[in-house]
Amino acid sequence: MEKGELGKNYAGGEIIFREGEKGEVMYAIQSGKVKITKFTPSGEITIATLQEGDIFGEMALFDRLPRSANAVALDEARVLSIDKKKLFTTINRDPTLVFKILESMSQRIRSLNEELAKLRDAKAKVVKICPDVKVTCGMILDQAKSLVKAANGSLMLLDNREKTLVIMAAFGIEREGKADLRKGYGIAGDVLKTGRAELINSVREDKRFENSQIEIGSMLCIPLKCDTHVLGVINMSHPAENYFSLDDLSMMNTLSFYASLALQNALNFVNLKNATDGILKHATMLNEYAAGMYQESQPFTL
Amino acid sequence: MDSRGKNTAQYELQDGAKIAVLGGGPTGSFFSIFALKMAKMMGKEINVTIFEPKDFTKDGPGGCNRCGGIISELLLQTIAVEGINLPDRVVRKGINSYRLHTNHGSVFISTPALEKTIATVYRGGGPKGMAGGEKDSFDNFLLSQAVKEGATHMPLRIDRLEYKSKPVIFSQKNEIMEADLVAGCFGVNSTTGKLFEEMGIGYRKPPTITAAIAELRMTEETIAERFGNSIHLFLIPDKGIKFAAMIPKGQFVTLCILGEEMSTSVVKDFLERPLVKAVLPASYSMECSCLPKMNIGAPRKPFADRVVVCGDAGSTRLFKDGLGAAYLMGKAAAKAAVFQGVGEADFRQEYYPVYKSIIHDNLYGSILYGVIGQYRRWKYLTKAMIEVVRKEQGDPNNTEKILSSILWDMFTGNERYKNVFLKSFKVKMHIDMWEGLFKGFLGRDNGER
Repeated sequence: MEKGELGKNYAGGEIIFREGEKGEVMYAIQSGKVKITKFTPSGEITIATLQEGDIFGEMALFDRLPRSANAVALDEARVLSIDKKKLFTTINRDPTLVFKILESMSQRIRSLNEELAKLRDAKAKVVKICPDVKVTCGMILDQAKSLVKAANGSLMLLDNREKTLVIMAAFGIEREGKADLRKGYGIAGDVLKTGRAELINSVREDKRFENSQIEIGSMLCIPLKCDTHVLGVINMSHPAENYFSLDDLSMMNTLSFYASLALQNALNFVNLKNATDGILKHATMLNEYAAGMYQESQPFTL
Repeated sequence: MDSRGKNTAQYELQDGAKIAVLGGGPTGSFFSIFALKMAKMMGKEINVTIFEPKDFTKDGPGGCNRCGGIISELLLQTIAVEGINLPDRVVRKGINSYRLHTNHGSVFISTPALEKTIATVYRGGGPKGMAGGEKDSFDNFLLSQAVKEGATHMPLRIDRLEYKSKPVIFSQKNEIMEADLVAGCFGVNSTTGKLFEEMGIGYRKPPTITAAIAELRMTEETIAERFGNSIHLFLIPDKGIKFAAMIPKGQFVTLCILGEEMSTSVVKDFLERPLVKAVLPASYSMECSCLPKMNIGAPRKPFADRVVVCGDAGSTRLFKDGLGAAYLMGKAAAKAAVFQGVGEADFRQEYYPVYKSIIHDNLYGSILYGVIGQYRRWKYLTKAMIEVVRKEQGDPNNTEKILSSILWDMFTGNERYKNVFLKSFKVKMHIDMWEGLFKGFLGRDNGER
């Protein structure tokens, strides 16, 4: 039987409205999902993913400012548009119509507050100056665990000499040492190469997946990078498929920004310490050599 | 104290208050949903029981609530904002246009970008043979939303109401409940109105006319080919028929005819008209038909202490958007009861203005339908109307499309009749109409049928 379809259909990736546009209409999702994104200096970030029954686009109607973000259909979405003039005329006649809109906005603010608090907490813990790379990796992974509920996780850094990823911290199944993953191989290796975060809903169907000791259904793989240089990756996994959400991916991306800074600091400290130790060692050797030469040059010893 | 010296505090709904809703159609469901939501907001716990003996999932007359089943653009958008999204299984067809047929031509009026903004639904399980399929009835969906919100549904027929200190409800001689408030949310075709008339509160049912509704069975492919996503309207110069509509719904087309002295022979005659036959396929069958009453006026005394009548047997929009009126009146009664109280003075203060606004708006509606009546009777007016709408629809630079939007708003119930009435004074439309009239007189219209 033919489906009764209301509203307008948007194909996956189709833009419903863009940041900066004037807003005359708000929307109610009839089916599918819509992601709300924003452009930042480091690229497009997803602020929220909305689903059937959610409304969006109302902010521009009430504050009369341009659209604050983009709305993009995720896969196929069907959306009913709600005309501003009709809405306000109806609200004028029946002010209680805004109760639901206020409830929705209140829930959104509450959720954003919680996310902000988590991220600020994670940022504060992660950007503490810590000279030990391994300890820093452990702290970062602890913060990742508090943001996203996963069954297993690991933080791997690229060993520049061996050109493989090395597990620096893990939870779930304790692992250490080389992960036998080179740049471009496996999912983690691929993320290391591309520098792009990935949310994989069905890992077993991904051709890049290399056999693992643990059962993995879905996975988040986030690069740790400073500028364009990728230091390593954070992996979060779960045995169930479709476990992680786009909100989880977004949170991890934000964490990775601060985590990368903390890691870079720790690595710089280690490199500086090694360089300083090297200089000190050479200076000591020179001193001893110079002292020895002086002794030999003296005719008499007391 | 109110102006009559009554103590109004006694009518404030308290925790544990019992509300009996007689009628589980859209008005009863909307009333229940909003009463419960608003009570929760106020931190009050109230008990709402919906008495509805009909099973809306049943096909055929047993589940039917005798209605064209059109949900207007405005209602769809409003309930979407309220968080009530019609699921696909309830929507029989998404509508994005109307095709208006007259003896002097047809014209197509659509939404911008052909977005489907109107829904067609079955109030019950649909015509006989349709039950048990993938689809759900609108009334059943709304009732389930009311139950989800916290209402209790009792499939009982209430056959007596008494008023002691509070209203008491009886079914088959058994006392079912003493209620803090009885909300009569029934239609003009229901016998429940008699219970309220006999209650002694002064309520009298509104005046009605008889409409004709028939279900025409065709294949889905035929309906898709001939109707697409359009409702077809017929304005014909027949004294007895105000207008007729064919509403596509999957495997059926619902035919609604409004006029005077409706009967099954009027329906059969209508279907034999060449204009109508041109729209219908050669092969279809009339699955069922009925002659329901339609509200055309205001009831007397729709509220008293602890009693309110809303819905079709209260006040509803003239000829159109009955479901929109169900939302407005159900919610208004709920607001009054929860935020103000359940005394007569409370309903007079909060519910009566909304009720009256619909009655007043219907006066404008009467005038507009009268004008449309003239347009369908007079050949040159009909031709001019078709000509102007065709011109408006064909002009991409014309953003106003005045006559198109007047007809759209009239036939969709999308706008208050008063606003449509005021729109009809726009000078440009009159200039275009006069131009169309002259062309008609001089024989310079395009003469298409």
